[in-house]
Amino acid sequence: MNRSQIASDPRTIYALLILVITLPILTHAVLPVPVSDTTRAVYDFIEILPENSLVVLSFDYSTATVPELHPQAIVVTQHLFTRPVKILFVAQWADGPALADAVLDVVDHGDRKYGADYATLGYIPNTATLIGMTANIAKFFPVDTRGNPIDTLPIIKEFNAGRLASLVVCFAASEDTLSAYLQYWQAQFNVPIAAGATAVAAPGYMPFYNSHQLVGILVSMRAAAEYEVLINRVGLSGATSAMVSQSTSHVFIVAMVVLGNAAYIARRRKAGAA
Amino acid sequence: MASNKAKRTRGELALQVIIFSLGFFYAFVYYVRVSEPVDLQALSDQLFAYLTAMLTVAFGVGFFNLTRVHLNNVKLKRPVWKFSVILLAAMYGMTVLSMISSPFAVDPQGFAIPRALIAFIDPIWEFLYYKVLVSINATIFSLLAFYIASAAYRAFKLRTFESTLLLAAGILVLIGQTPIADLVWPGFGAIRDWILSYPNTAGQRGVYLGAALSILLFTARRMIRYSWGR
Repeated sequence: MNRSQIASDPRTIYALLILVITLPILTHAVLPVPVSDTTRAVYDFIEILPENSLVVLSFDYSTATVPELHPQAIVVTQHLFTRPVKILFVAQWADGPALADAVLDVVDHGDRKYGADYATLGYIPNTATLIGMTANIAKFFPVDTRGNPIDTLPIIKEFNAGRLASLVVCFAASEDTLSAYLQYWQAQFNVPIAAGATAVAAPGYMPFYNSHQLVGILVSMRAAAEYEVLINRVGLSGATSAMVSQSTSHVFIVAMVVLGNAAYIARRRKAGAA
Repeated sequence: MASNKAKRTRGELALQVIIFSLGFFYAFVYYVRVSEPVDLQALSDQLFAYLTAMLTVAFGVGFFNLTRVHLNNVKLKRPVWKFSVILLAAMYGMTVLSMISSPFAVDPQGFAIPRALIAFIDPIWEFLYYKVLVSINATIFSLLAFYIASAAYRAFKLRTFESTLLLAAGILVLIGQTPIADLVWPGFGAIRDWILSYPNTAGQRGVYLGAALSILLFTARRMIRYSWGR
């Protein structure tokens, strides 16, 4: 294998990428993270929520997208626990309830009591349930994930209909779960919706943000790092420490594109000259 | 033969009436609120509860079907039968463990299942879920980074004007997404926001509107006349 073959071998690129990702993690380097408008919009909306509002956190992602969406869920949940609001945890993906429990394990609950201030309802198996929840939550969730009869929970006695929510934050790995909230909660009952998105999915959500159907979008792990700055809890979700790796890997990919094009142009010129 | 055809047509007609009525009912209830003399919204909510039950049964059918297919693979020693064993073991193992101790537990407070058993299963389930499943799935998803790096090196070429535009937009959004770019020049973030807010939104809206109109037409066609595959 000559030098040119080694350079263009995908395994060489993979090896370099591993180094580019892991070295910054090992050095514990940290970068200042400017806050983007879409992230600040979510933060500001939560800040001005009236006392005793109901917020629904929807864990609509699987274990595959944990690196991008889980840090967002941690920081938003932590923010909500510092605000005088009630929180319901639900999930449109089967992995969601376990991931919600994992979030609750790492955030500081303060003086919040389970049942009165927050509750974990579990899995919403289909859109029909999501629609039905707007009118009556207890009908579709007879017990919570801890086995408590749902109508004994003070939070449900106070808010037994999804349409009473003042905000839904949908951590969405795919667009269909967010669309369901937009169609059946936001369009019909004017429930404000915010989205937590993977970097790949975020461009697809921008039309809804620009039309004010979404109050804000958290875009990938970077939004979690930005949110850590906003709530003054840097390091809570691990997103800030991953930002250097993210930056170096993106710069590496751009460098690969530039190199690939330089080689392509040089080859084309050589072929033209010959 | 002719009578069979007539009978089938009558059945189809009855189903067609049901499909149209339910489709029209839900479309009507979505847009119009009627509370007197019958609360149509409440009726719709009740029907959704039945629909949820039906869809859950459908999930059970899928579980049964998966079992049947993979059991046959094992029985007949088909080439991939070892993977079928792993699939069945993982599916039934995790189902049983999840029913004892997880957010899906059937008796989390230990009325019927001994609490000692729940306490014993709990760390096993947590290990399998948080340490094994999360790690495996996150790793598989993260492999995308390697494919993107390799693909970018090979395929992102300045061949035509359109591909050059795509390349420039891709690089600017990629760079703008990194905090390091803001340190180099704050304008990178602004350019990323502009690309996402204007050209991207315009394109996405076109796609969404096209898809929505197609769904609307397809639904109307399905409500009026279901194609029975013949």
